[in-house]
Amino acid sequence: MCRMKDMSYVDELYIAPCVQGDLLEEEEIVPRKYEEARRAKVDKFYKALALFYFFCIWEFISYLNVRGGWFNPVFLPSPVTVVETAYEYLLNGTLVLHIGMSFYRMILGFLLGVAGALVVGIMIAMSRTWDNLLSPIINMVGPIPVFAFLPMFLIWFGIGEASKIALIAYATFVPMLIYIIGGIRETDPLLIRSAKSLGATSFQIFTKVILNSAMPKIFEGMKMSLALTFSALVVAEMMGASSGLGYIIVNAKNWFKMADMFLAATLIGLEYTLFYAFLTLVERRLFRWKMAGSSNAVEK
Amino acid sequence: MGTVIEYLHKAFDIVDGEPKFVLEDVNLKVQDGEFICILGKSGCGKSTLLNLLAGYLKPDKGRIVLNGEEIDGPSADRGVVFQQHALFPWYTVRENIEFGLRLQKRQDTKEMATKLIEMIGLQDYEHAYPVELSGGMAQRVGIARALAPDPAVLLMDEPLGALDALTREAMRQELIRIWQLSGKTIFFITHSVPEAVYLADRVVILKEGRVEADVAIDLPRPRNMRDKAFQDYVDSFARMIAETETEERAVCAE
Repeated sequence: MCRMKDMSYVDELYIAPCVQGDLLEEEEIVPRKYEEARRAKVDKFYKALALFYFFCIWEFISYLNVRGGWFNPVFLPSPVTVVETAYEYLLNGTLVLHIGMSFYRMILGFLLGVAGALVVGIMIAMSRTWDNLLSPIINMVGPIPVFAFLPMFLIWFGIGEASKIALIAYATFVPMLIYIIGGIRETDPLLIRSAKSLGATSFQIFTKVILNSAMPKIFEGMKMSLALTFSALVVAEMMGASSGLGYIIVNAKNWFKMADMFLAATLIGLEYTLFYAFLTLVERRLFRWKMAGSSNAVEK
Repeated sequence: MGTVIEYLHKAFDIVDGEPKFVLEDVNLKVQDGEFICILGKSGCGKSTLLNLLAGYLKPDKGRIVLNGEEIDGPSADRGVVFQQHALFPWYTVRENIEFGLRLQKRQDTKEMATKLIEMIGLQDYEHAYPVELSGGMAQRVGIARALAPDPAVLLMDEPLGALDALTREAMRQELIRIWQLSGKTIFFITHSVPEAVYLADRVVILKEGRVEADVAIDLPRPRNMRDKAFQDYVDSFARMIAETETEERAVCAE
């Protein structure tokens, strides 16, 4: 074994000078960075392919189930059945309504939650008085699961849209607050010092230094909170709603329409993914300054 | 007018009921346009002195007067360059340099910034973000940014400390060139004796919070580190700083 290794080493050395000349002429030198960009594109393709496979496997299993008669096919509708169900909804005009209502509740609740968290977060992070007054309350109430509040919200805000949007906003507000306060407090004091020595007022330091510095963390918080926003959306629609994707699930449960449940669940997943991708896109656009110099830990 | 430091005291702690002074009875008079190096070991109070000059800290006793006005908090008339460049990472090189100018709402912001970028020789990098710069480049941007609002004095807290030896050498020459071009008063903190002798008009040696020596460097520029006269300065300063150490050791031995 050892001898073999030695031999190959010698061979390489021997051949190398002959080949090198040709190699240099033929092979173009492509910097690793471009190769990395190409690979990132290929990665995206594979990721899309993975989703495709997922549906293929699902279809295949339900097909085998129908053929083999393992269990009642109604329990696991195939993707094709789900698409057919979607088509039915589309034909009677309710698909757009349900998706639209869910999206409307989600986006409004999310924006209200983020805006509220921004106001309260800035108050707490910038003023010691507000910190003392509000933080203990938020620390006590914050960890209570949002869904425990749903019945109260229904009583306070009524059975209409207000209670649902309030619940979604609150579910977004609590985690966002932590990210916003953290983002503001993590501002490098050296940057604040240098802004002061360049003549910035406290207000300018806030708008030009602290906000800029906290922004990436705030965006990270928005992406993390989004999962809770969506859970709140579904739960809110399951109780006392007559439209929306959560409503489809509850309604389908009553009538044992499994395909409808799968359709609604898939649409929720899709809506979440799209909105998450949108946030990621905005993030990339806004924080080029962060990515500019970054690269792999080790070139591959 | 210049800068006058009078009877300056600063303490952070109280030990045995007595304030433990980091700076004790510091007095200095600096002319406009002078290059002052403040030299000392770590813990001698040199950074504290700079932070007091910048206005980040307030004196416990005594005062600092700049052009007839007592210093009370940071302001644009004292530019600061930090050891870690402290550039705003979300701004490009140009935006960083324009920061101070924009705050003053100056009409000639663009031209001023262009001039400064040319002065530090980073024309090709004006739209680069700080993460894309090498240590030496980032520090040059830091200097240009501090110079932009046209401060009366420039305060530098070991600005070359984080650079490698070769870049450091080049930056020293660059710094002298920038100083001669701008004619600013510079307070430069360092713990490197040759660096102080190379750069300064006057070297102020701090020892345990007191001014140990205040020596004018009488050498023509550009200075040569191999000159006999240069070496004499270095040796005498090194001895002054080292004396404390032998004393400390003697105390420990007892």
